[in-house]
Amino acid sequence: MNRKLMVAVGLAGVVALAMTGCASSTPKASGPVTITYSNFISNGGNEKNLAKIVTAFEKKNPNIKVTVKTLPYDSYGTALQTDLAAGTPADVFDINGPSSYGPYQANGVLAELKGVDSGKYNKALLDSYATSGKQYALPTSFSDVVLYYNKDLFDKAGVKYPTSSWTWKDETAAAEKLTDKAAGVWGDHQPVTYNEYYKTLVQNGTTFLSKNGKKAAFNAPAGIEAAKWLVDKSGTTMPTIADGQGTADFDTNLFKAGKLAMLHTGIWVFGAFADSPANWDIAIEPGNTTHANAVFSNGIGVSATSKHPAEAQKWAEFMSASETMISVRLDSGWELPTTSDTAKLATYLTKGKPENRQAVFDAAKKIAPAPSIGDNQSAMQDAITGELVEAQAGRETVEVALNNAEKKINALLAG
Amino acid sequence: MSTSIAQTALVDKDPQVMTSAPIRVSRPVRSSRAKSRYAFTVLAFLLPSAIPLLLFVLGPMVAAAWVSLHKWNLLAPMQWVGLGNYAKLLSDPITGDVFLHTVYYIAGYLPLVYFGGLALALALNTALKGRSLLRGIYFLPVVTSWIVVALVWRWLLSPSNGIINTALAAVGIQGPGWWTDPHWAMPAIIFASSWKDLGFVMVILLAGLQAIPTDLYDAAKVDGAGWWRRLFSVTLPLLSPSTFFVIVISLINGFQVFDQVYAMTGGGPNGASEVVVQQIYDLTFRYGRAGEASALSWMLFAVVLAVTVIQIRGQRRWVTYG
Amino acid sequence: MADALLTRGTAPRASVRAPRSREAKTRLTGIIVLHVVIIVGAIVMFFPFLWTIITSITPGASLTNTPALIPENPSLGAYQRLFAERPFGQVILNSLLLAIITTAVQLITSSTAAYAFSRLPFRGQTAVFGVYLATMMIPLQVLIVPLFVELKTFGLLDTYLGALLPTFASAFGIFLLRQAINQVPRELDEAATIDGAGHFRIFTSIILPNIRPALATLVVFAFMGSWNSFLWPLVVLRSPELQTLPIALAGLQGQYTSQWDVIMAGSVVSVLPMLALYVFAQKYVIQGVASSGIK
Repeated sequence: MNRKLMVAVGLAGVVALAMTGCASSTPKASGPVTITYSNFISNGGNEKNLAKIVTAFEKKNPNIKVTVKTLPYDSYGTALQTDLAAGTPADVFDINGPSSYGPYQANGVLAELKGVDSGKYNKALLDSYATSGKQYALPTSFSDVVLYYNKDLFDKAGVKYPTSSWTWKDETAAAEKLTDKAAGVWGDHQPVTYNEYYKTLVQNGTTFLSKNGKKAAFNAPAGIEAAKWLVDKSGTTMPTIADGQGTADFDTNLFKAGKLAMLHTGIWVFGAFADSPANWDIAIEPGNTTHANAVFSNGIGVSATSKHPAEAQKWAEFMSASETMISVRLDSGWELPTTSDTAKLATYLTKGKPENRQAVFDAAKKIAPAPSIGDNQSAMQDAITGELVEAQAGRETVEVALNNAEKKINALLAG
Repeated sequence: MSTSIAQTALVDKDPQVMTSAPIRVSRPVRSSRAKSRYAFTVLAFLLPSAIPLLLFVLGPMVAAAWVSLHKWNLLAPMQWVGLGNYAKLLSDPITGDVFLHTVYYIAGYLPLVYFGGLALALALNTALKGRSLLRGIYFLPVVTSWIVVALVWRWLLSPSNGIINTALAAVGIQGPGWWTDPHWAMPAIIFASSWKDLGFVMVILLAGLQAIPTDLYDAAKVDGAGWWRRLFSVTLPLLSPSTFFVIVISLINGFQVFDQVYAMTGGGPNGASEVVVQQIYDLTFRYGRAGEASALSWMLFAVVLAVTVIQIRGQRRWVTYG
Repeated sequence: MADALLTRGTAPRASVRAPRSREAKTRLTGIIVLHVVIIVGAIVMFFPFLWTIITSITPGASLTNTPALIPENPSLGAYQRLFAERPFGQVILNSLLLAIITTAVQLITSSTAAYAFSRLPFRGQTAVFGVYLATMMIPLQVLIVPLFVELKTFGLLDTYLGALLPTFASAFGIFLLRQAINQVPRELDEAATIDGAGHFRIFTSIILPNIRPALATLVVFAFMGSWNSFLWPLVVLRSPELQTLPIALAGLQGQYTSQWDVIMAGSVVSVLPMLALYVFAQKYVIQGVASSGIK
């Protein structure tokens, strides 16, 4: 027993020494510059696609090497924040949308990107990573939320398919006709969350925050109407939380199984629905007073502490606007590039189901701007989602829920 | 061995370690050379653990105390606020809520997991057929990740079509909304956690049971002690060091409950099952208030330390060492 | 329930009194009831793992649907994808290496410290033990950033040594072994002292052999702690070739969608080594007790 133990000690010691040896012998850089890129966007299946883009970049820029570190999406923020706190971020790193961009920019961790060819990008998306006219990050990809519908169920109920001229009223009327609880068929599904709410506010002609961004603006008649639009579906045309609504994959499974007539969700489920036997298509989401859409983008930024800012920016631009990137993304069905060149996107329109892929681009033309409040962003989102769910579960009225949310959010805005 | 030893074992001897008047195995001679040799021995045994703990736990703990006196969002430089973070936390109703939820969790979890684990250890310490396999099966949940366990339990406890509510409905009981209901979210977490950790308690107590000499039971039987009597006068007293360990560790871990809450309810609905460490995580990495998170950690530390000290003081009354 | 509850299966039980027939009958009923309860319990405990396995062999599995007990088109495709699309074999080896080193080092640091706390009285011992326990009382979440900054100054970021150092001593293991050593009769030490044995001899030849069940338990938990650890390896290891299993598993969940069959396949793969270790350790515990002379 103890001899074995001693052997174990010896082994552990040797391994430890060997590893210190490895640690101290970092190669001295001479010749090509190595930059590091920390990302989550390739995580979960697109690692090889990212590698293709890196290879193309290194071929074009033989004096730059890119070292890629891929992190799980769910814990990317934790790892990045730790790096930023310790002053060890990668030269180039992913930014999880404009709402994460806000605090990073405000705290000076992003280098300004000068001389970016803005003509290559979708302007609205590019602007969401700029502050006071200066560009601090670039959009790499985007997705938006559209209305999915099951043609078979519409035909069966004798309801006309959704069109771009639909309003909330049309959707409600159709949903009621399509709902057949006895058969387990539901007319509609829309998550009751912050991400849906800020968008429906714009669809109803109002906004989440006041114009100067200092106060919550949703607790007014138009905001209450928007909240009711979401909450009141539950149990009438949409399954309740007790039925499983709000859990991972619930809505998409229901739609795939042909038990859901309309579904509000992102274009990222095209792949998952491709093999569904259901006959389905998409349309742009109805608005109440106007069209407005939730567009989610991922960004890429250069660390303010990078030792090779020029090379880093070159990579950031390549990763967000190069032809290689565009073709790799379109070929593999990875998220859409943010290019302004609609001709390049033409192949996307004919890539099979759904037929009406034009709706993806139409939606991106009318973006509901997401509120951005800095450090308290996540706390604000948690607060409004929590209260809306209380209303959805019937534990509070919509009015009480919005009063509570307003109080919490105004306190956060006051600091 | 005779009954007398069995009985000595039951007498509550002074636990040697926690008191300052221990029985020594080799009484060191009181010469200064012998003293320094003894000190060297003590250090030789302690330093391999003391150095890593000092450098990689106590050091960062002190650093966290320093951070707790600052306003810090991890991105911009820290700003000194003195005890401001503590004052802010004490006046924030959420602080009381998260502590209350945590204590609620412990109050439900500890008895379930301890008595369940004890029964299991006793049962699996018998001449049961396929005992090794059974132990392995009961240990499975311990090694399964919370991501998977939470998925399964959310599915089992699904309010409208989960197995558990379906079974309840069959006997005429309307099942609750479990993790979707503010009153039932914490019980759902407690059940799942106890289920998962049963095997942990079982393993510790099994090791403790293995250390009890068989002759003590034989001696007790000669005295005509029945099963229950042997349980209370031999097994439980001799198991008390393991029991003490399980309870101290479960409390320390219970106060830091996080993974299961994060995976099962995310602290919801609307914060109804939010616990202390989740708040610490959110404050640090999501809400940009790392200073407050550190302050909250030290408040938690004070509570856990107090509870542990009380247990160590109280162990003399019921923990019997060999 | 009957005598069976208190007897170990491996040690032949000397029948002290001839059991009367009525007693034997109750005993039999007791044993049957016990078996039934234990086996039903085992099914309940096994169920989620079964669910995981079934999901892993159901192509395109989804979560909310009740899985069929026997999937329509069972396939090992998820396992193939797990290993083909990413360096999963490498990742498992990495995790194994870290877990083995952590376990070996913790066995040493825990047993020596436990010996000091149990057998080497010194002034302030209670207080020092309290400080040891206190190292478990601050959540890791708040220590991550200071620890990270510390290892940065040591130049150990992105090295295995950096990932390992904070795991080298564990108050949990020390406490566990201290409790076990406290139960080893002091008469044994005394006898050895009379034979002229010093502390190191007593430690290696009396104490360690007598706490095998606890050592085996520590092996299981130390290994498991390292095998499952997530947060610290996540931040300290960046190079893809150093990546460990839990992080690779988390990487299977995408920003918007997840492939559940692959995730569950990964989960099955990650559970198996732990289970094997546990079964092995349990055998060791029982053998250790059966063969040790002092009982």
